[in-house]
Amino acid sequence: MKVSDYLTLEHVVLLTGTTKADVLDELVSTADDFSKNITIEELRQAIWEREKMMSTGIGQGLGIPHVRLPGLPDAAMAVGVSQAGIADYESLDNLPVHIIVLIAAPQGKHEIYIRLLAKVANVLKQDDIRKAIAEAGDPAEVYRILTEGKV
Amino acid sequence: MTPAIAVLLAQAPLPTLLVIGLAILFGTIGAKIFQKLRIPQVVGYIAIGVAIGQSGLGFITEETIQNLMPFNFFALGIIGFMIGGELHRDIFRKYGRQFFAILFAEGIGAFLTVSILITVVSLLLGLGVATSVALGIVLGSIASATAPAATTSVLWEYKTRGVLTTAIFAIVAMDDALALILFSIASTVAMRLIGDASGGFFVMLGEAGRELIGATLLGVVVGFGLNYILRRIRERDKSLAFIIGAMTVVIGISLALDLDRILAAMALGVTLANLAPRRSRESFDIVERFAPPIYVLFFVIAGARLHIQGMPGWIWVLVLPYLVGMGMGKVIGTYIAARWTNAAPALRKYLGICLFSQAGVAVGLSILASHRFKDFSAGGVDFGMLIIMIIAATTFVAEIIGPPCVKLAVKKAGEVGLNVTEEDLMLSYSAGDMIDSALPSFTENTTLTNILRTIAETDAMSYPVTDAYGKLTGIITIDELKRTFVAEGLTDWLLAFDLMRPVPDTVTIQTPLDEAVTRMREQELEYLPVVAAEGDTHLAGMLELAAVNRSLSREVLRRQQLADGPIEE
Repeated sequence: MKVSDYLTLEHVVLLTGTTKADVLDELVSTADDFSKNITIEELRQAIWEREKMMSTGIGQGLGIPHVRLPGLPDAAMAVGVSQAGIADYESLDNLPVHIIVLIAAPQGKHEIYIRLLAKVANVLKQDDIRKAIAEAGDPAEVYRILTEGKV
Repeated sequence: MTPAIAVLLAQAPLPTLLVIGLAILFGTIGAKIFQKLRIPQVVGYIAIGVAIGQSGLGFITEETIQNLMPFNFFALGIIGFMIGGELHRDIFRKYGRQFFAILFAEGIGAFLTVSILITVVSLLLGLGVATSVALGIVLGSIASATAPAATTSVLWEYKTRGVLTTAIFAIVAMDDALALILFSIASTVAMRLIGDASGGFFVMLGEAGRELIGATLLGVVVGFGLNYILRRIRERDKSLAFIIGAMTVVIGISLALDLDRILAAMALGVTLANLAPRRSRESFDIVERFAPPIYVLFFVIAGARLHIQGMPGWIWVLVLPYLVGMGMGKVIGTYIAARWTNAAPALRKYLGICLFSQAGVAVGLSILASHRFKDFSAGGVDFGMLIIMIIAATTFVAEIIGPPCVKLAVKKAGEVGLNVTEEDLMLSYSAGDMIDSALPSFTENTTLTNILRTIAETDAMSYPVTDAYGKLTGIITIDELKRTFVAEGLTDWLLAFDLMRPVPDTVTIQTPLDEAVTRMREQELEYLPVVAAEGDTHLAGMLELAAVNRSLSREVLRRQQLADGPIEE
């Protein structure tokens, strides 16, 4: 499985917001072409429904909001980078979140969904990659590191 | 029958096919009503037959009954074939001595008691010694027969299994032979008593032997041929055609050669069941599925042909001693033989009352007697007609009281419902009977770590997921969890919500189990959540296909062991 199968450069953004709500909105608004069947609002609601159960801030500066939606044709991703960090993300380790990876998958493609989550988590587990992405000032650079899995 | 209807039907009898259709429909409706009253269905069929037949409204005329005779033989063939299928050689090996002893004792017991009682009552009616004894022994010999069809239909209806059931199958299968032999002896002696001595004793006995041995040989030979063919046939519908074909040929040849029809069909069934016990089971199952409307029609016609009007009143005085004698003789004979052979208590106590039914063979023998004795009279009535009338009246009563007695006996012996398949059980259970209500469920925010910890302690294959209010929102299956094994490091932040799949369908605890299982199979589901009531979203438990199959198999085995005793190691 390759990250580049599910992530395009247009879905990588440098975040300007400072709160969790702002940055999730920014990220969701880049995902308007995920599917004709899903509106931005539906995606936003699904993400927040999941966040209310438990924050997707998994520690080490990472946030991985993830949802499954019946109308999606295939899995898709969007990535946002905040150099300042989002302090109110309610991360497991209580540290600010710098890298947010949104993963949306169709309801029936459970295996792809889990594999994609695992793949992203594995790539971003590496300190040097996280550091390089957080400091990259260019979406293209973020895209390259994430899709190649190396600095 | 009202005169207007009688005249109308005499001028234009209903077409035979219409009679068949109406008989099956009304017979089934009648049986349903009787079943609600907890009376065996066969009584319902016969009662409907009586109501629409000769003794009732007269919709089924004598002519129609004659037209349906080939069908009647066909139905008897099916019944004989099915009874034969129940008689495996293990039964004879295990119970042979007991069953033969009981057969002789109940047959001869009925013969003796009926002979004595009828003779005494006839003497009291002033029929004279010779006529009274002749009437006594002829009726006594007829009383020794037991109608297999009505008796075994109760066993099939109530899915019985056990030593009593086995004994009933074996004895009703064989006691026609005994009745034929007794009848040939009795009618020869009666003939000598009341006049003509022609057609000597050995001629009659030889004729009975020819009927019995010929029928057995015919059934066995065709059985070997049928087994040879069925070994090479895989399609069920073709198998059915061959079985029905072979059975009809056996019945047809029996009719042509004047052999015992039902014995020939039984011999066919026994041969098939014993040549290939396992494979033939499927053949009998095929016929069993095909048989119900044939049984219905057979018994409706049996009721319709009963003609109990126009009898002189004093004949009814002979009906009572006949019935009492038959009942007492069979019960006492069975009791003595069962005690003597150390048979199971159920046989001693209950087998006798299972042998009261009387039908085809008795009626057949009475017709034979009527031909033989047509030139003699007793009390101003044709001797032969007297026998026909007494047998018709007693058959009417025996057909009504016989099946409930069988039901009572198998119930008392604890054999009801022990011969079940998984399909039968499924029809008797609801989804609520099979749910695992102790199965853990997860709330949507349960982490994968906690889910894995919980499922390690249970053996279910699927788990319900509920929201904070207990409303069912999804299902997690082991299959989905297996996929998370690649997600090392995610277990602390993946939730039940992330892993669950939508609820595919639900049933309520009242949904019949067979419907629930059909829904699972149609949707290729291994599980189905069960809610308390229609429209309710609160979970009552989970139904798992594998667990249902396991439970049903265990229950079938438990019941079989209860019926047959524990499996020997």
